[in-house]
Amino acid sequence: MIRLEELHKSYGGRLALAPLSLDVAAGEVVALVGPNGAGKSTTLRAIAGIIRPTGGRALIGGRDVVTDPVGARVQLGYLSQRAGVPLGTVVGDLARLVASVRGVPAAEAEAAVAAAGLAGRLDAPLAELSGGQRQRVMLALAVLGPVVALLLDEPSISLDSEGSEEVREAIRAARERGTAVLFASHHLSDVAALADRIVVLVQGRAVAQGTLAELSEAAGVPWSLEAIEPPIERIYRVLVARGRSAGHRLTLVRGSAA
Amino acid sequence: MSHAGALFRFELAAALRGRTAPLFAIGFAAVSLAVALVGLSAGGAMAMQGFARTSASLLQLVIWVVPMLALLTGAAVGSECQDLELIAALPVSRRLVVISRWLAWSVALGAALLVGLGAAGIAIAATTGTADGWRYLRLLGVALLVLTATLALGIWIGVASRSRLRAVAIAVGIWFALVIGVDLAVIGLLAVLPPGQASWWLSLLLMADPVDSARALGLSLFHADVVAGPTGAALHRVLGGAGAWALAGALVAWTVGPLWLAGRRYARADL
Repeated sequence: MIRLEELHKSYGGRLALAPLSLDVAAGEVVALVGPNGAGKSTTLRAIAGIIRPTGGRALIGGRDVVTDPVGARVQLGYLSQRAGVPLGTVVGDLARLVASVRGVPAAEAEAAVAAAGLAGRLDAPLAELSGGQRQRVMLALAVLGPVVALLLDEPSISLDSEGSEEVREAIRAARERGTAVLFASHHLSDVAALADRIVVLVQGRAVAQGTLAELSEAAGVPWSLEAIEPPIERIYRVLVARGRSAGHRLTLVRGSAA
Repeated sequence: MSHAGALFRFELAAALRGRTAPLFAIGFAAVSLAVALVGLSAGGAMAMQGFARTSASLLQLVIWVVPMLALLTGAAVGSECQDLELIAALPVSRRLVVISRWLAWSVALGAALLVGLGAAGIAIAATTGTADGWRYLRLLGVALLVLTATLALGIWIGVASRSRLRAVAIAVGIWFALVIGVDLAVIGLLAVLPPGQASWWLSLLLMADPVDSARALGLSLFHADVVAGPTGAALHRVLGGAGAWALAGALVAWTVGPLWLAGRRYARADL
C-alpha cells in the first residue's frame, strides 16, 4: 500500500532524509522513531505530497505521489503535527470539505467529529478548541472514508492519557480494516504497543529497521515475550547512539533475527 | 468538478465569515454616498448628485482603493496557502486550491463592492432619478474587473512570498508602482517618443498596468473627451472602436496570468 523507493529529500546542500526504502503492507503498522530533526516528519510530508522529494519515489496504492499526486492521495489519510488549515476555519466546514473530496456523506463526517467528543462544536472555529480537541478532530477526519494508507505525525501529541488511548484504538481499528499505517512518534510506549515494525531514523538516515525483537537483538538489549513491558526505551537509546556515531549504518529486514 | 465545488464552498464560507468583506461594503457605501452628497455642496447647496457626476467622481476612488484592498487581501490570502498542509494532502490539485481561493474572495469582495456601491446607487436613484444609471453600472463593471485582476496579482505575491508580512509589504510597493510609478514612467517615456509613435505606445503601456487599464476603460465608458478634457479626448481617439474591449481583455489577462503563475508556483512549493 505504501512503498518508498530510495526516497530522499535535501534542502539546498542539507540532507533532511537519506535514501529510504520501505514497504508498508495492507493491515500493517510501521512506526518511525528518532530524535528531533531525524527526518520522521520529512518522510511523512514527502509521502503526503506536502513537500517534493529530491529523488526516489513514494507510491500509495501503486500511484506515484509526484507524477500522480491527486490519484495517490485519493485513499490517503494524513494527520499533521500542525493544524494544517487557518485556525479561523470552522470545524463543520472542514468536515464537509473532507467528506466531499473523500466521497462520503457530510453527515458521516459530522458524526465522526461528534464521536471524537466534539458534538455541538461543528460551528466552532479551530482556534476555540484546545490542542487535544483539535487533534481529535483532525484524527477523526484523517481516517474518514475509504482510506487505505494512513500517515500520522505524532498522533498523540497534545493528548491526555484518554486521548492517547483513543489514538491507539484508531490505529488498531485502521489495521483491522486493512489500512497500511505509517506513524511517527516520540511516545515509545505507543510504538511498542502498536507497531509491527519500527524504523529508527537518526540525522536523516535509517539506522535500523525491523520488529521490536529484531531491534532488541541488534541493540543487545535482552527482551522476551514474557516481559510485561519490553525495554524499548533502552533499545531506542542504544540504536540512536550508534546511529549518531559516524559511518555506522545498520539495516535490519523483517525475519533477519531469530 | 465536485472537488472544485467543495473547495469553493469551503473557501467562500471562510471568506464570508471574516470582517474584510462587510467592512469593504460599509466603507464603499459610506464613501459613495459622501461623494454623491459632497460634490454639490461646494456650490453652497447640499444635494445629491446624479449618476453621471457621481460615477465620474467615484472612478478615481475605485481605481485607487479597490486595487489596494484587493492586493492586500490577495497577499494575505496567498501567503496563507503555506499553512494549508491538510488541504494539500487531500486529493485535490494545488492549482485548484489557488483558483478556489481567488474565486471565493472575488465573489466575497465583489459582493461587498456591489452592496456598497449598490446602496449608494439606490439612494441616488431615489433622490435624483435613474437618468445615466447605466454609467454607474459600467463603473461597477470596471471596479469588478480591476478587483479580480489585482486580487489575482496579490495572491501570486502571497504564494511566492515566504511570510505574510513580506507579502503585504511587497503588495503595498506594487500598489504604489501601479497607481503612481507606472504613470510617471509613461509620462517620461511619452515625452521622449516621436509624436507619431506616442499613441501606439500609450495604448500598449495602458495595458501593461491593470490600474491604468481600468482607469482608461472607465474614462472611455464615460465619454472621456467630455469628462476629462484634452487628455480624455486623446484617450478616446486612441481607444476608439475596439479600444474598450482591448482594455477589458487586458484586465482579464492580468487576472489569468498572475493566477496561472500563482498556481504553478504553489504546485511546486514545499509547505
